[in-house]
Amino acid sequence: MNKKNKGLFILAALLLVVNTYYYILPYFTKSTKNLELVASDVSINTSDLIKSYQNNENKANILYNEKIVEVRGFVKEVSFVNNRSTVLLYSKDNSSGVICDVNKSQIKKIKLLKEHQEIIVKGICKGFLKDVVLLNCYIDLNFNE
Amino acid sequence: MNKILPLFLLLTFLTNKETNKNQFIARQGQVSFFSYASVENIEAQNNQVLSILDIKNKKIAVSMLMRAFVFKKDLMYEHFNESYIESDIYPKATFEGDILDFDTSLSNQTKIIRGTLTIHGKSKNIDIKTKIEKKAKTFILSGEYNVLVKDFDIKIPPILTSNIAKIINIKFRFQYQPYEE
Repeated sequence: MNKKNKGLFILAALLLVVNTYYYILPYFTKSTKNLELVASDVSINTSDLIKSYQNNENKANILYNEKIVEVRGFVKEVSFVNNRSTVLLYSKDNSSGVICDVNKSQIKKIKLLKEHQEIIVKGICKGFLKDVVLLNCYIDLNFNE
Repeated sequence: MNKILPLFLLLTFLTNKETNKNQFIARQGQVSFFSYASVENIEAQNNQVLSILDIKNKKIAVSMLMRAFVFKKDLMYEHFNESYIESDIYPKATFEGDILDFDTSLSNQTKIIRGTLTIHGKSKNIDIKTKIEKKAKTFILSGEYNVLVKDFDIKIPPILTSNIAKIINIKFRFQYQPYEE
């Protein structure tokens, strides 16, 4: 292989690697990444997050939707409806809450949760219906330590 | 968007305790859709769909966040929200309807729900055949429905038409609980 061909070969290989990384791999990546080691964009308590949506939903959508939100609140209940693991956080001064759809890696922690326990949940905020919806959540039980 | 207002009104009615006995809520309703196409099949599931069932007035209201649909691949999610549904402009899909000939005393029945489905800011009157189960003090509603993509003004670039079916199959299952403040 002469020098010119070698250069072309390296260039072609480089292009292949770059294209695979940016265009092919996204087809196979799953949207359920563990957020444990990912820094949150916003840290807030349940009550303030709900009030923010109730006061101005459009503004809150811009502030929180698709962001990694770390929310501090109290456990209302744990549910396994539709084979999903879900933690509902309540707010003391509001009938709305936060629905946290929990990442599979957190199932052991879910079983330890008790009603009224204070926890921190980190998840991707999707918006507000009657409750704020967080998906792919990671639970922090030892935030005081 | 104007279809969301009646849902909020319905939620406001829920604050009246007298009506609460007749109101049921599903905060974690499940809605999934399936697109069968030659290039690839696309499916997604939303497990946080809100629905209110009023057994006295035989009405149902449903609201869901489009961004809460979970896909197998990130790229599908991105195309769905950014190119087709335009979730930043139309973040929710809603349905409001009447359950025809609903008999609350029966434990199992299949009825037609007649109402308005709003997706991508476009509304369409539809009839959905729905199975209604009554278990203890709760209700479970389930069924499926086929929607035409063109009915909701969803634009698919010509180059991608073979990737997405013209008819999308939607399945739903709502497990209700008595409404509590």
